[in-house]
Amino acid sequence: MNLERVIFGFFIVLAVALNFGFFVGEIDNPDHHGIVELFLAIVVNLIATVLKLGDRSQIGAVLLATSLVADLQLLAAAVIWAIAAHVDSAGLTPAVMASIVSLAGGALVANIISVTILVAETLMLRR
Amino acid sequence: MQANQVIFVVLRFMRRPILVLITVYAVSMVGWILIPGVDEAGEPQRLSFFHAFYFLTYTVTTTGFGELPNTFTEAQRMWGIVSLYAGVIAWFYALGSIVGLVQNREFQRSVAERSFAKRIARVSEPYFIVCGFGNTGALLTRGLSEAGKTVVIIDRNPERISTAMMRDYPSEVMGLCADARVPEHLIEAGILKANCKAVVALTQDEEVNLKIAVTARLLNAGIWAVTQSTSAAHEDTLSTLGANVHIVDPFQTYAKYLGATIKNPKIHTLNQWLAGTPEASLDDTLSLPRGEWILCGFGRMGRWIRDALEAESIATTVIEPDPGPEAKRLENLVEGRASQETLIKAGAKTAVGVVAGTNNDSDNLSILLNARALNSDIFFVVRQNKYRNQVVFRAGKADLIMMPSMVSARRILFLLIAPLLKTFFETLRERDAAEADYIDTVIARLQERVGGTRPRLWTVEIDQHSAAAVAKLSRAGHDVSLAHLISDPVDPGRQLACLPLVLRRGADQSTTVLPKLDSAVASGDQILFCGRPRAYRLLEATMNNEYALIYIMTGQEVTRSVVLRWLAQRFPRLETAGG
Repeated sequence: MNLERVIFGFFIVLAVALNFGFFVGEIDNPDHHGIVELFLAIVVNLIATVLKLGDRSQIGAVLLATSLVADLQLLAAAVIWAIAAHVDSAGLTPAVMASIVSLAGGALVANIISVTILVAETLMLRR
Repeated sequence: MQANQVIFVVLRFMRRPILVLITVYAVSMVGWILIPGVDEAGEPQRLSFFHAFYFLTYTVTTTGFGELPNTFTEAQRMWGIVSLYAGVIAWFYALGSIVGLVQNREFQRSVAERSFAKRIARVSEPYFIVCGFGNTGALLTRGLSEAGKTVVIIDRNPERISTAMMRDYPSEVMGLCADARVPEHLIEAGILKANCKAVVALTQDEEVNLKIAVTARLLNAGIWAVTQSTSAAHEDTLSTLGANVHIVDPFQTYAKYLGATIKNPKIHTLNQWLAGTPEASLDDTLSLPRGEWILCGFGRMGRWIRDALEAESIATTVIEPDPGPEAKRLENLVEGRASQETLIKAGAKTAVGVVAGTNNDSDNLSILLNARALNSDIFFVVRQNKYRNQVVFRAGKADLIMMPSMVSARRILFLLIAPLLKTFFETLRERDAAEADYIDTVIARLQERVGGTRPRLWTVEIDQHSAAAVAKLSRAGHDVSLAHLISDPVDPGRQLACLPLVLRRGADQSTTVLPKLDSAVASGDQILFCGRPRAYRLLEATMNNEYALIYIMTGQEVTRSVVLRWLAQRFPRLETAGG
């Protein structure tokens, strides 16, 4: 057992878990999607990205790429949320909520790929 | 070094600082969300994530706009203190890490290596690698650069590399601070590239030079390995390496040269002029007297000079303070340091020439002064070992100054940029022996066609790459002659100020010295030209511009446009009408 691998796996799985938690629910219902969850998903995703930096293997490069995609999607969702809540007078309408959640859904796909690669690599190494 | 290793070094190095920053931001923001505040009306209201992030952004970067959007409660202010200090410290940590990384020597080295590798990869011209930037290396680099060649210098001493980079070279000169004995460094310098023509090993240590030559030969059998060597053992090893390894012994070269000069002093005039010695002109004359010569010092230089003089049946007397077994066998040996006394003993009053050839500059200068006091007409060849003594040697007014580094640099330079020059001088010497005044006629011809001082020597290869127009027309069956090449493209009735010295046929490798101007050239031929710099530029242009060459050959401007050519074919009358 390797502490570094534990931390690494923890953050990657936590990222997908939080992302999923934010994503589930009716797509345009603001009551089903908490901002705290989005915030935590972003923070954990960023940490996961930084942990993947510096790995020069081929798999490391793909892992980093999936993380960057997830970051981009989630940050875009957060920016839309901030604009809807603070700038636009209409507020958080169901249409805006739907676009935020669909962005988070895209991030979820990237995160699932990331976890799949992680599992595949672990199985391949078998140690 | 891998292509983008530098960025990975940065990323790995910055992992911890970035993690710290993310954590501090996340914890602070959670705090701001949880701590209750009030709005303008006094109703309880918490900060949104957006406002929390906004507040952090302007406080931890020490901008500070105040308490936004509403005045804070005391609890919020307490958290403000915590988050501000934590944030500022995290930022300082991150910035400090970047500064530390930039100042890291290893990091700087890898960045420098990376940019060097990029420059090497971009070079598309033929180029040369010079290992060792001492006196010889510096002189050779200057010469190659003035001939328009790209040079890569490798030296272990960072000071020498930075000196080289400070100098103003007319062509691209790149420096790599590395140990040339390590094969990887030669590879970094681009030895494996197809356009790398030669590796020149000129370090102080002949053992190192040998190693570089062997490494270069093994890494790339197609390039030339040139090295300087003054010991027979090294030369034996090197000569077994094959045809592309060239060894230059400055003392042997100089002795041969001195022998040829004694036979005909015009060789010296021609050589100085071709080498571009400042102020050397074709009118210069030097006369070396025949008679008894005194050799001071019987080391690496003395031996070769004695052999060369004996070959011209000139008697020599040797003065040597510490004679070895070989020197002891000599008939005319005066043992002792070269002083007034030993010089008189060696016959300085009746001798016609003295060679001061020890490896100590002050000894050589004192020999010069002593001998001149005894016999003011004596001819003087003096060896200057250190470049920094230049001024003193100039003041000494010796007839010939032999500087080993200069001799080597010049020899190697000619080998690299004008390999046919050796044939030229060899033929000149042979013909001169058979035919009186042959060299004088050659000099008169050069004087008439080129003249002046500091001519340019260059080698032209007739091929697709460097003489596209000539190769194309000769393949199409036209007879392109040397006279066509050296015609002035502006006024074909006149000739450029240059002269083909040697023509080497690609077909049968035969060489002709001073070829007739009506000889046709073909693909694969190599021609050594000597001329004024302007002639060099115009000749290059003619050889690569089909239209200029056709104009020279036929006196007619070719119609360049396809449409006009078609019209001219269709209506021949138009052409005559148009002129």
